[in-house]
Amino acid sequence: MQRIASAKIPGGKFVRVKTEIIDGTLSRVEIHGDFFLHPEETIIEIEKNLAGLSSSAKKEEISERIQRSLQKHSATFIGATPEDIAEIIMKTL
Amino acid sequence: MNNWRIIPLETHSAALHMALDEACGEAVAAGKSLPTIRFYQWSPSAVSIGYFQSLMDEVDTELCKQMNVDIVRRRTGGGAVYHDHDGEITYSILAPESMFSKDITASYHELCGWIVKSLSLLGFSAEFKPINDIIVSGKKISGNAQTRRGGILQQHGTILYDVDLKKMFSLLKVDLQKISDKQIAAVEERVTSIKKLKPELAKDDVYQALLKGFTDGKNFTLGSWTEMELDRARELVTKKYAAERWTRMR
Repeated sequence: MQRIASAKIPGGKFVRVKTEIIDGTLSRVEIHGDFFLHPEETIIEIEKNLAGLSSSAKKEEISERIQRSLQKHSATFIGATPEDIAEIIMKTL
Repeated sequence: MNNWRIIPLETHSAALHMALDEACGEAVAAGKSLPTIRFYQWSPSAVSIGYFQSLMDEVDTELCKQMNVDIVRRRTGGGAVYHDHDGEITYSILAPESMFSKDITASYHELCGWIVKSLSLLGFSAEFKPINDIIVSGKKISGNAQTRRGGILQQHGTILYDVDLKKMFSLLKVDLQKISDKQIAAVEERVTSIKKLKPELAKDDVYQALLKGFTDGKNFTLGSWTEMELDRARELVTKKYAAERWTRMR
């Protein structure tokens, strides 16, 4: 079942997250919004690396996984932070 | 001092504009073209969405089709924008990244400063509002978006000459399903346009001010696209910007 949550980050941009949970695991995560991410293609890596997380994952785990993807690609978010996105993902779990 | 090429105001389709930006960026990266500033209008009028946006969440695609409004996905992030043919002037800057700050927010500030300068020539007291907006009297008059690829910084943005909020609201899906007068009034509180503030200004006055503001202090020549850039742009239209696979990517 797809679950959706969104938020306008104060001082930042709008983020909408869509997740699919199958058998207690995040099988698919999509992160949409009007934020910026440099380089842009990092979004695919971030979404891929979030898949497989347990649906009982804590916010810090999710945030850390996003941060690791960013570091791997020397990427920068503008208008949202890994913590912001993790918080929105948590709303779908 | 760097030499700049200025491509004067031109009108094309949404897909061709995005393709020209990318082809130009490639040519600048290869040293075949000078750092470039271009100004343009959209025909037909179009909606552009940011790289990370979901097309179906943001755009009423059926209504766009009925109203002959193009849809294009940008390769920059940011939000959904309605580009009215008569209602705005768009610019793009394509230049080596090394010419600007590594700090993206600082580079937005610098490049948006060219728009602030242009607006001051028209008598507006405009200011840059981080992350990527320009405001006059607290209301947004310009939105901008940047990407950095292959050593090239691309920033493009719009200067709002005249805004039809009802039309914009019908084409762009908003969080709340119905368009109410209250919601339009709320957006009108946050967005303005040149015509609203100074109705006596013609669109060409705005374009001339942009030309002057953007080229101030620069070595530049008024130029045109090379055959190579045009060929590559046409290829990118077919393979990417007019292709469903790209537009419906997310």
